[in-house]
Amino acid sequence: MNLKLLRDRSHMLRQARSFFFERDVLEVDCPALSSSACVDQHIDVMKVDLGSGQTGYLHTSPEYGMKRLLAAGLGDIYQISHVFRAGEIGPLHNPEFTMAEWYRCGLTFPAMIEETLDFIRLFLGNLPSQQLTYRAAFKSYLNIDYTAAIVPELLQIAQERQLSLPDNASSWDKDTVLQLVMSFLIEPHLGSDSLLVLLNFPATQSALSRTTELPCGERIASRFEVYYRGIELANGYHELTDPEEQKKRFEASNAARQKAGKELLQIDERLIEALQQGLPDCCGVAVGFDRLMLLRHQQKDLTTVLPFIWASA
Amino acid sequence: MAQQYSTGDLRGGYKVEIEGEPYTVVANEFVKPGKGQPFNRIKLKHLKTGRVVEKTYKSGEKVDAADVEEAKMRMLYKEGDAIVFMDDQSFEQVTIPLSVIKEKEQWLQDEVLYDIVLYKGTPIDVNPPTFMEMKIVETTPGLRGDTSGRVMKAAVTENGAKIQVPLFIEEGETIKVDTRNGEYVSRV
Repeated sequence: MNLKLLRDRSHMLRQARSFFFERDVLEVDCPALSSSACVDQHIDVMKVDLGSGQTGYLHTSPEYGMKRLLAAGLGDIYQISHVFRAGEIGPLHNPEFTMAEWYRCGLTFPAMIEETLDFIRLFLGNLPSQQLTYRAAFKSYLNIDYTAAIVPELLQIAQERQLSLPDNASSWDKDTVLQLVMSFLIEPHLGSDSLLVLLNFPATQSALSRTTELPCGERIASRFEVYYRGIELANGYHELTDPEEQKKRFEASNAARQKAGKELLQIDERLIEALQQGLPDCCGVAVGFDRLMLLRHQQKDLTTVLPFIWASA
Repeated sequence: MAQQYSTGDLRGGYKVEIEGEPYTVVANEFVKPGKGQPFNRIKLKHLKTGRVVEKTYKSGEKVDAADVEEAKMRMLYKEGDAIVFMDDQSFEQVTIPLSVIKEKEQWLQDEVLYDIVLYKGTPIDVNPPTFMEMKIVETTPGLRGDTSGRVMKAAVTENGAKIQVPLFIEEGETIKVDTRNGEYVSRV
């Protein structure tokens, strides 16, 4: 435990709240516990026994609740809260962590990126920023066009760079292999001396963001991530507002869960209803607060930036 | 079917079988891109050769548990190029070739209990107790005045282990050794 860092944590939380107060963004506190769960294929939700045979779920981000408030017309909002993800334990992961998430109705996607960088600079100092597209990242670090690459080519690149994979890797789908290559061979290089904004993710990795087509025909997601010193700090979207499309994605995600042997979850119908009422055109972003603190204090893992990591909580 | 572990659950010390070979897990690193497939980069040590390799799996994939058991057995005697051990409870005897014991031969002593690692019933490794007592059979004469223990000299134990001991240790003395690093611990 490092008391100096914990004192700074309090200071950082206050600075974060001032940042939003100055911009007239309202603080909300949507519940951490809800009756339906995030169905993201790769995020595992924690189930809670509520007694009398009832089950609840801990939120993995306050996104669904916040979108219902946006649809109800509350305007620009933020939430700083603890979120929960099962199985995520490592130097940069704790199953319970703090997320700063906000939504802006009046900002364009580029302006949202700028605001996110300003929020990060509040804690990491006045760092320059740089933008890189997903496609250019693959081109510059691995000299491959990811849109044209097939799975065996990507796997070969991984093997050539000493990433040893199990025998069944040849059966992995393209997105899995893209994420493997991104995580191990590209991300560690991102943002070595500036805040790096990664843009134009493939449409197949859109999650809850809008998708568009570039003039060259590449289908991309209106999604960005910010990296500093190889660590992912922020994930932002131009938010999807189409309820039909949203429902389709939830169903596809749930089907993928089932295929991977995971439990099928109830789709959050209340969120779909809110989208049907009308979600305003908005951008949203989530920033990992504990990682921000880790980078601010040049720590190697989350142990010292949290009062108690899971192993000692 | 063999017992299986989910790659996300593997911790140091777990024994797994990969592509037909037995490994012990050294470390398991969780890596996850912002949104998307999490992975586990697992550092593994081959149980027979000691070679360390890394493998990257999707989190949640299954790997087979290795059929590895440990048994406590007492050393009986040397027989040619092999050592005979006995289980105190079952009185069952096993003969383990020195080619399996390798550099641990230097820690072999009659009547001492060893951890025998068996893979599919065949011994693949012999682990000595962490601390062992042994007699020094060869070293240069001691300097009586020096009792600081800070200055070391070479010595050979009764089983042929070459270790460093403080200057004041004499031939014929019994000392305690840490077998993990081969370092002198104390006089007995």
